[in-house]
Amino acid sequence: MILLAVLAAVFFMLIGVPVFVVICGLAVYLFFISGIDLSAIIIEMHRMATTPVLVAIPLFTFAGYLLSESGAPKRLIRLSNAVLGWLPGGLAVIALISCAVFTALTGATGLTIIALGGILLPAMTRGKYPEIFSLGLLTTSGTLGLLFPPSLPLIIYAIVAKVRIDHLFIAGIIPGILLVVLLSVFSISRAVQKNMPKTRFQISEVAGAVREGLWELPLPLVVLGGIYSGKFAVSEAAAITAVYVLIVEVIVYRDIGWKDLPEIMKKSMVLVGAVLIILGAAMGLTNYLIDAEIPIQMLEFFKRHIESRILFLIVLNLFLLAVGCTMGIFSALVVVVPLLSPIAQAYGIDPIHLGIIFLANLEIGASIPPLGINLFIASIRFERPVLRLYLASLPFIAILLAALVLITYIPWLSLVLLK
Amino acid sequence: MSKWQKWDENLGRIEKFLVAAMLSAMILLAFLQILLRNAFSTGVSWADPLVRYLVLWVGFIGASLAGKEGKHITIEVFSRWFDGRGRRYLKAISRLISALICGLMTFAGWTFVQNEAQMGNTTFLEIPVWIPQVIIPVSFALMTLRFGFSAFAALAMMDYPDNYSEHGKHS
Repeated sequence: MILLAVLAAVFFMLIGVPVFVVICGLAVYLFFISGIDLSAIIIEMHRMATTPVLVAIPLFTFAGYLLSESGAPKRLIRLSNAVLGWLPGGLAVIALISCAVFTALTGATGLTIIALGGILLPAMTRGKYPEIFSLGLLTTSGTLGLLFPPSLPLIIYAIVAKVRIDHLFIAGIIPGILLVVLLSVFSISRAVQKNMPKTRFQISEVAGAVREGLWELPLPLVVLGGIYSGKFAVSEAAAITAVYVLIVEVIVYRDIGWKDLPEIMKKSMVLVGAVLIILGAAMGLTNYLIDAEIPIQMLEFFKRHIESRILFLIVLNLFLLAVGCTMGIFSALVVVVPLLSPIAQAYGIDPIHLGIIFLANLEIGASIPPLGINLFIASIRFERPVLRLYLASLPFIAILLAALVLITYIPWLSLVLLK
Repeated sequence: MSKWQKWDENLGRIEKFLVAAMLSAMILLAFLQILLRNAFSTGVSWADPLVRYLVLWVGFIGASLAGKEGKHITIEVFSRWFDGRGRRYLKAISRLISALICGLMTFAGWTFVQNEAQMGNTTFLEIPVWIPQVIIPVSFALMTLRFGFSAFAALAMMDYPDNYSEHGKHS
């Protein structure tokens, strides 16, 4: 019977019933057949929604939307162009860095391809990059930067897995840089091979770009400084970031007028609502699953069939890539993390490292054919057939998978900054 | 434009106003607490619980608006293989299921609020705790109505903002 309910849930998801509705439905069914009052689901939802650290989500998301609607993306591209344009493949590296920063700020919600793709694809075409290369790069970069704070999936993982957000923020930095660096090296080597044109390095342009972006340059420090020094909690850093971005974009740069704020607030809170309600719904379901000792049963199954930690990690990687490709990042996080994290711990995997493995997998899974969400967003944004994007993304996915191997099997990359 | 759509638009405007006002309050209060704590080693005792309930409200109103704008996260795969009538029927079915389940959640939320009201607990400034919690059934009720109307609109070939091309806006 339960199997039937799960199959029905999967079917509902595939025909387009929102994920949170399906999770609620499953919870309602399970609570009902076990004779538990349905309001218990709401109790969990309410408890989750009033967790003190949760205030970081609306605050960071609002700051990210504000930045994305301002001139910040253009200033970021100008600055990285001034600093890196002289490199062979410089424009590709710029695209990678801008996408990564943008994704960290807006939370890997598909906004990156929509907002930056429109600027970067024509720029790369003008820069004589082959179209298939540019398309692949921009498609796979749609979730690049997910490991950098304050990205929304990092916060969600920390809440669901009950690990410290500040630790996770810091752990993501080196693996995140690794992904960007490997893709950059690949892009540069391709550009050298094809003898791509490059621009001249001009110190005056760098100075101009720095002056233009002077107020936004301290942002990483605003986000991370207080957390890293231990002076501020994550929710406080979020409040400071929101106030800082508000002042910079509305008062200093005047990119955004006061009267535009309600619309931006609404847009960002629609995303927050869509994510929080999945999170809340999943809490009810997870509690049921834990009460029913599902994770323990799964653990016994795993222990019987998989002995070594390495083998477990391989299985975990394959599973998470598939989940990231099919379910999308947020749904995968709330449903899969509570089930798998106790098992991974039994195999001796550090919970923080596990978080980075999870997010790296989901980030890459979002670009993997046939269902990776980045491919569809890029297909709509760039008006190209999805099949062409499948082909275009393949070399980049190969690089990302290589990076994933390093991130998964070298815990040091994630944990060194924490020591 | 039908009566319902007008009503829905007006409701959307109220929700937008509430979200903007509450988010502004949240930012100000959270920032004020940091200033007070660091400059004067003090704080307002009701600010922290109020901020937490503002998150609850903003989240649930946001979810209700996401229902209006078709921005809930979905994994739909099948609808890509259909167009025209097939897609419309599929949409009607998925929205009907959504309305049904959200209806059950409204009921669950209502029971929850009733229980809390009976227990008579209070939160900051002696406000009964069920008052901030009432947003949960209200938001589910609004989503029930919106999903229901969306299903109806799909069958009647009317336009409703939550169109399928939205796929991929999130996640």
